[in-house]
Amino acid sequence: MNVPAATSSLSPAILALAEPPARLIDTPAMDYFLIEVVNALRESSAVAVARTKKLEQEMVDAGLLPPPGPSAVAGASAASKRDSSFRDSIGSGISRSESAQGKSLVDDEEEGVRQRLEAIGMHVGANIAERLCHDRSLFTDTLDAVKFVCKDLWSACWDKQVDNLRTNHRGVYVLQDNAFKPITRLSTWEGRADGIRRAKLYVAMPGGIIRGALARLGFQAAVIPEITQLPQCTFQVKLPKG
Amino acid sequence: MGPPLRLNAVAFVSAQNHPILIRTFSQPKQDELKYHYIAHTSLDVIDERITAAGATKSTGCYLGLLYVEDVAVYGFMTPTKVKIIIALELSDNVVRDADVITIFKALHTAYRRSVANPFLRLNVPSDNVTDHSLLVAAGGQKWKLFRQRIDEICGAVTLPGAAA
Repeated sequence: MNVPAATSSLSPAILALAEPPARLIDTPAMDYFLIEVVNALRESSAVAVARTKKLEQEMVDAGLLPPPGPSAVAGASAASKRDSSFRDSIGSGISRSESAQGKSLVDDEEEGVRQRLEAIGMHVGANIAERLCHDRSLFTDTLDAVKFVCKDLWSACWDKQVDNLRTNHRGVYVLQDNAFKPITRLSTWEGRADGIRRAKLYVAMPGGIIRGALARLGFQAAVIPEITQLPQCTFQVKLPKG
Repeated sequence: MGPPLRLNAVAFVSAQNHPILIRTFSQPKQDELKYHYIAHTSLDVIDERITAAGATKSTGCYLGLLYVEDVAVYGFMTPTKVKIIIALELSDNVVRDADVITIFKALHTAYRRSVANPFLRLNVPSDNVTDHSLLVAAGGQKWKLFRQRIDEICGAVTLPGAAA
């Protein structure tokens, strides 16, 4: 039952400001955009990796760096990657230490794309969470926040709710979606295994969205997406106990 | 219709209790510091109310009238732990809760629209721990639109209401 505005001592202008009309987005356009984002970021990441490698090479030539032994390369590339990531405004704390020996150029680029996608996802997730909290009451505990992610965030982003939520009551939650929207239409010529490998990149941004939303609500979480079978995706969320 | 509500000041405080923006609209310009002080005091009162509400399991966002010290101070805490504090001038007519909640919702909308802009945070990693260093910059040049939105809300509040 709506209270008529005339009984309020506020003008209609502020009522309009308090409840702005919802801005909607065209879903197929958004889906195409998200698919192309991965390709565009792959190019961008290749350019960034080439740039840091060139910088390293120049420093080695100028004698500022010791000639590349395996540990020196890892140290220099980790440092310069951190610099370039700050400049490109990605700050996710993904560990780079595994990149020590035998790291091929392709892995560097994949990791770069994944970091960028996750950083974009974090920003998007934080702001979507802020928007969805507009009419809500405060969160009572961690489980309440995870349920908010499973229901409100999932319906806003992917038109359905999470199919299965499991927890070990010690801060680890597993969210399972049997037909995760970004990867439902994914297929490749080379078979299931290759499809799963490629899909891993497309779930990096949704993982970032979940992580960003929880971060804005005040919970520092680690989110790990896993795909075993193509349209089904699980996200393992590790929250500090509390 | 009685005289409209007069909004004296608005303060946003981040989740880590760092001030984001404190904006005053009262006539005498030297009162800015007083509202900084009021915002600071309100944080304690908000903490009390939140722990009290937590004990009784009631989780509303609107915290009601916090205290009165020649202005009436109302508080609101969003689920993302951002606190909004407003100071309304004391007046004789009844101030409805629903009206104050509407003002808070409009302020929250202005805040989240501005914060969603990625260009305001280009040079800082998206790390929540260091959030405060860039939010304090909300008084600076780049956040002009945020301040404009707040001014617009204040203007809308103090207009006379629709005729009954």
